Amino acid sequence: MEKTFVLGIDLGTSNSAVTLTDLAADSSRVVEVTQLLGPGQIGERTTLPSAIYLPHPEEFAAESVRLPWQEVSGPIVGQFARDHGALIPDRLVTSAKSWLSNPHVDPRSPVLPWNAELSEGKLSAFEASQSYLVHLKEGLLHAEKKDGHDRDLAAVQVVLTVPASFDEVARALTADAAAAAGFHDVVLLEEPQAAFYAWAEQAGSEWRKQVSAGDIVLVCDVGGGTADFSLIAVSEENGNLAVERISVGEHLLLGGDNMDLALAYTLQAQLEDSGKTLDEWQFRALIHAASAAKVTLFSNETLNEVPISVPARGSGLFASTLSTTLSRTTLEAVICDGFFARTGVDEMPEEDGGAALQEFGLPYAADPVVSKHLARFLTRSLQNVRASESLSQLFSTRPAALSGGFLRPTAVLFNGGVFKAAPIRRRVLDLLASWSAGEEIRELAGFQPDLAVSKGAAFYGRNRVTGQGIRIKAGTARSYYIGLESARPAVPGFKPPVKALCVVPQGMEEGSAHLIEDRQFGLIVGKPAVFRFFSSEIRGGDHPGELIANAEKALEETSQIEVSLPPMEAFPAGQAVPVRLKSVVTELGNLELWMEHTASEQRWKVEFQVRME
Amino acid sequence: MKTHALIAGITIAVLNGLILVPDLRPYAAYFLAGAITLALWLIARSLIYREDTKPAPAAAPSAPAAPPPPPPKQAEAEVIAVLSTFQEKGRLIDFLMDDITAYSDAQVGAAARVVHQGGKAALLEHFTVVPVSAESEGSRITISPDAPRSHYRLTGKLAGDGPFTGTLVHKGWKVESVKLPRLLDSDDAVLPPLAPAQVEVQ
Repeated sequence: MEKTFVLGIDLGTSNSAVTLTDLAADSSRVVEVTQLLGPGQIGERTTLPSAIYLPHPEEFAAESVRLPWQEVSGPIVGQFARDHGALIPDRLVTSAKSWLSNPHVDPRSPVLPWNAELSEGKLSAFEASQSYLVHLKEGLLHAEKKDGHDRDLAAVQVVLTVPASFDEVARALTADAAAAAGFHDVVLLEEPQAAFYAWAEQAGSEWRKQVSAGDIVLVCDVGGGTADFSLIAVSEENGNLAVERISVGEHLLLGGDNMDLALAYTLQAQLEDSGKTLDEWQFRALIHAASAAKVTLFSNETLNEVPISVPARGSGLFASTLSTTLSRTTLEAVICDGFFARTGVDEMPEEDGGAALQEFGLPYAADPVVSKHLARFLTRSLQNVRASESLSQLFSTRPAALSGGFLRPTAVLFNGGVFKAAPIRRRVLDLLASWSAGEEIRELAGFQPDLAVSKGAAFYGRNRVTGQGIRIKAGTARSYYIGLESARPAVPGFKPPVKALCVVPQGMEEGSAHLIEDRQFGLIVGKPAVFRFFSSEIRGGDHPGELIANAEKALEETSQIEVSLPPMEAFPAGQAVPVRLKSVVTELGNLELWMEHTASEQRWKVEFQVRME
Repeated sequence: MKTHALIAGITIAVLNGLILVPDLRPYAAYFLAGAITLALWLIARSLIYREDTKPAPAAAPSAPAAPPPPPPKQAEAEVIAVLSTFQEKGRLIDFLMDDITAYSDAQVGAAARVVHQGGKAALLEHFTVVPVSAESEGSRITISPDAPRSHYRLTGKLAGDGPFTGTLVHKGWKVESVKLPRLLDSDDAVLPPLAPAQVEVQ
């Protein structure tokens, strides 16, 4: 069906947002999302907090938590879920998105809220993501209907954003969640790319004047819970400017929430030094107050300190409000020098503390210093570009860019709430300049911290449907590999290294396929067999069919699945069928791996999607 | 939006009352016109507006009757809903209901910061607040004859014809847009609380 509308959906770790573009009118607007604000109370907000509260059956009257479009009330999504759930963490699901990409826990098993003593009603990360999408969809349809528009979802192109650091498993799960939520045509877009599209849309035809061939734009996106980096190269192609995403970072659970928490701990210590103690509820109030004071100090640089008051939970406001102050010195020590320290470009983040026993949970970044993660990203980006002939070509006019220890960006596009603070943006620019012998790195103007991703997604969707306007050349962000068992004599006490075959090269574009012609493999069908998949962000030069000798060392394992493929006539179960491997990236950006029998039409599809340990 | 209705109703009453004030006789016609317009708007509004929170019923064979009149407590409930956000975010009710005389200025000051920070957030969440007059207080201004009369309160010596000129004593505040929470239909006969009692279940 012909697309008449585009929905750009930013399914964020802590907040979600939607932009609707009417293609006929060529107009866009950020959708006001209807949500519960309290029992019996609804209202609209431009963002939907990505939080689900699972109410106790006797907690609220069913009518008071049922949304206008719901037949029966269910889990509560949005603002009230987050506010109320903060007091009852056992019933609150947050950060579902980070659980989607958690390698230790099956994203389809109902384990959230994590570690909660809830006997029933728990959700999987997949179901939680689906719930947010259902809420956004139903809320939009309801609001449109009230305005007299009956929207047909079949005429809507949905662009759903994911972190650039999401691997194929998390991407596929996100796409599946959208399908399960009832969206028809969904394409995925990396968030830093969406931020770049939003910038390009805002700059209009001016964007070609703000960047020029040879520019390397660092998209530096630090949101509430995650940090996500990408590099976008600008080059000239037949007289036109072309943009290409050349590198993506690793998945980092580190963001503004960590910073507010760090401030709150500092203030708590300050209060305790003066003999006051805080209960859990007050500590939460302190986090809010610290966050607000941080915004005030960062936005008004003439202030030296901001007083902070923390009420107690009882109704006596005068008797039990605690007060302290947040000074600029403390703020800068904690945020600027703590999270954005002036470290060297060769200082890499510290790995885990090495405790023998660790609690399973979200794999938060062990090192809170964003500067070090940025240094690691730029260092790895250089490795990636050097490994690839086609990416190195982009630097043919200035080969010096590839000779240092890291890939130096020439411009920065900021995104995410953390960068609302001008001093933090300045610090990052200073840091980059200090790594480049003082050479200045400019900031691209037109920063829209909260809504850029959904706006950019809608703009990309529009360009995609109409075939007009800027498109970032991207393709797959990683190269993908499948593990091979080699035929070799068994040696006691020695596990042979796993070899891996490159099946999807980095940058493989939508709607393309690769058949590895010159090699045959033996595929075990009719009995359970294990497939191991690997990926890499920094091996831009690997071609399909290339063998990597020691996969466990050189690559990252993304998934391992045990499947029993349907057997084939003439091949007894357990005997290897000769096959060729073919990888496909569909028009919608989904990865597929086919095993094709060399002598017939018989073929098997192996999904990258299931991840279990 | 029953709060609108409430505000409009009060305004009508005030406008009608103003007709009776001798000093304002020359403006009586405006007041009357205003009151009538508001009343018409109110009637139209009550006929067309109702947040439908019930799932659409299966098509009934007979045409549905006009929607039942809203429960009488709806308007009160909506005012309470607005106040409750001031309490929730800015502890306004706690602040006003506590006995202020027993506490030092430092204690009151600390509490006032809580009310200010949260109360301002609650206010700006629901209303876009701007000054009535953009001039600075203390400056001499002339009131445009086109300005809504309710927006300016004239004091001092009032004689002769407008436009009036005088010193701006208070710049005034007005609301540019209103975004109130809406209430879901509930069969509950009791009004919602300003703040629920909080109980920590062990």
